Amino acid sequence: MLKRTFLGLAGGLLASVALCAPQAWAQAKTEITFARFFGACEGDYGTSQDVAKARGECGVMTTLTNLFNATNKDNILVKPQIIEWGPYYQQFNARMAAHDIPTIAVMHSAQLGDYVRYVEPMDDALKEAGIDTADFTPNARAAVTVGGKIYAMPWDTHSWLWHINLGMFKKAGLLDAGGQPILPKTVDEMIAQAKAVREKTGKPYIVMATSGPGDAANSGRSYYSWMYDQNATIFPNGFEKADFKTPESLATLKAFEALAKADAITKGLDSGGGLGGFLNGAGAIYLTGTWRIDDMLAAEAKPDSPLHEGYAARVFPNLFKTQSVWTDNHTWVLPKGTPAPQHKAALVFLKFLWDHNFDWARGGGHLPARQSLMAEYAKLPQRQYVVDIPTFGKALPHEARRQFGFQNMIGEEVVNIINSGKTAEQAADAMQERSVALLRGR
Amino acid sequence: MSGAASSGIGRPSWANLLFVLPYMLVLAVLLIAPVGLGMWLSFQDYDMLGGWAGGVGFENFTNLLNDRIFLGTVRNTVIFVVLTTPAFIVIGLFLALSLNDRTRRSSALRSIFFGASVLSVTIVTLVWRLVYLPDRGLLADTLAIVGLHGLDPVVSETYALPAIAVVTVWWIIGLPMTLFLAALQQIPAEIYEAAALDRTSRWRTLLFITLPSIRRTVVMVAVLEIILQFQLFGQALLITGGGPNNRSRPMVQFIYEAGFRDLQLGFAAAASQILFALMLLAALAQMWLGRRQDGAS
Repeated sequence: MLKRTFLGLAGGLLASVALCAPQAWAQAKTEITFARFFGACEGDYGTSQDVAKARGECGVMTTLTNLFNATNKDNILVKPQIIEWGPYYQQFNARMAAHDIPTIAVMHSAQLGDYVRYVEPMDDALKEAGIDTADFTPNARAAVTVGGKIYAMPWDTHSWLWHINLGMFKKAGLLDAGGQPILPKTVDEMIAQAKAVREKTGKPYIVMATSGPGDAANSGRSYYSWMYDQNATIFPNGFEKADFKTPESLATLKAFEALAKADAITKGLDSGGGLGGFLNGAGAIYLTGTWRIDDMLAAEAKPDSPLHEGYAARVFPNLFKTQSVWTDNHTWVLPKGTPAPQHKAALVFLKFLWDHNFDWARGGGHLPARQSLMAEYAKLPQRQYVVDIPTFGKALPHEARRQFGFQNMIGEEVVNIINSGKTAEQAADAMQERSVALLRGR
Repeated sequence: MSGAASSGIGRPSWANLLFVLPYMLVLAVLLIAPVGLGMWLSFQDYDMLGGWAGGVGFENFTNLLNDRIFLGTVRNTVIFVVLTTPAFIVIGLFLALSLNDRTRRSSALRSIFFGASVLSVTIVTLVWRLVYLPDRGLLADTLAIVGLHGLDPVVSETYALPAIAVVTVWWIIGLPMTLFLAALQQIPAEIYEAAALDRTSRWRTLLFITLPSIRRTVVMVAVLEIILQFQLFGQALLITGGGPNNRSRPMVQFIYEAGFRDLQLGFAAAASQILFALMLLAALAQMWLGRRQDGAS
């Protein structure tokens, strides 16, 4: 009796499993992992799918992922792996060493040269996904192309700006008849403007974060921008040896020295102190990237904000020969070693992102990677002044190794000029010496 | 023949090794092997992305000894240990002596002083960055009241490292205080009663009863703090980033940057060996001094 009951139960159980299994198999989703920085904001956007309302890098990325997971018809589940921006690449390295490879990972184009041997070439994959590579902006194309092959899907171009408090510029007499800011064209003009701002407002001309973790990059981006304005590079004689004592490099460092000597730039602020200070009227210009435009516009809209009298975003000004500026790009890479089903699913998600590139540009503040979106992007507030950056902006070629190490090292030495009175020549000497250690890596 | 001897108690037996085997296995896998691997790495050209390119002998070490940034970090780290270790002993002992009673006030203060130790380095540095903020931080505002302007420790080559030392002592003074409290409570009350009967002054009681009684704890705290403070990293990275002009970059930050940012594992491993040697030497010197004093007393 007992045996019969047991057999009956077992048979029933098997039958249930057999009936349910096809349904369960039908529901099994293809999970792909999505390693990124840009922050975590589940509190505000945890379930949001309304991309038009999303603001900021985090808001747009989270909303786009939610929308894809809710609407894709290929039964794909994207699982974000959100890592703090500061240690992102350190963790990425550790994961690669442990063979814990994400399906898709964000990567700065400045890093792509170092990692190119670990990521899939994507020419065929992008074609398979239906992504039109002919629509890449020239800047985006150069950013993802190494040795003639495409190794990433470009997501944006980001660059370096002067964010200007027009109220303070007005007090200092630095607005033209149309109410637009007058930008300096030489180092001397810049110092004269700084003196006018100090005299009329009692505040420093430039606010820049220099002392927090990662803040050295701000000075590095500024250095590169003025170097590119002189059509110069830190690798004039090949990528095995940097040269920081060229006339152009010394001229750039002397521009920072002049700012420091004129007490025209803040000292010792971190990102929070710098941004908070600028938003509270602690200086006329804030040096940061395209990604802050939206925050500044939001501050300008507040009646009690010091920016309420007016805010302007302008490309980091050319003080030397030809307008150029530092650029970098967020890109999406497919690390090698992903199984075929996940690889295929990743391409579906990348196509979805590609189709929403404008949402990223609008909410995240960066320039689109798609040429076809530029006209629409230029219609957004202040973007008309930065929309041409992809045509004249520059970055180091992918052959230059350890680009983040260089950016940080250069930034630290520029910070030493600003914060602790190093001369341009002393900074150049130190940069030269430190570059040797950086280029030991392979 | 005694019962113990006949049952084998006290006789060496290889089977006894089984009791320590689990610990030894964990120690070997998680400590001895990584230390050995680190030593091997320090003699290799090993790039995190470029991979292994063979042995390079002492090249990583000679490169380090010619690297002014690295030598600066050695200087900074040693200065930091010299600044903080005595402070931990003196302030920790002072707090322990002050709070070594059973009143509610002391109990509350003990909790408060120990409380900061449970905060993460991120929280601590966030708080102290607000204190050190140039022009409008708590320190700047306080100094402005007495007419002192422009003292920004974060951008001062002279004060950046002492500023980090202040943060560190504030943060983890609870541990030495607690160790000293435990030691003070081990001193028999009769000794103090005898001293009181002899009308011994408080100063002489401290010098001739309390301090000699807790000498071993002082050595232990010193060795512990030397080892801990040689590993300075988070506070420096988050408060000054190693600046200004490399004046507050510690050795661990250099190792982190060389290994994980610049991806030169062999070079970073060599710097780790130098740090290890320095810590070992400093701790051994402190223990030797402690034993010498034990022998003299």
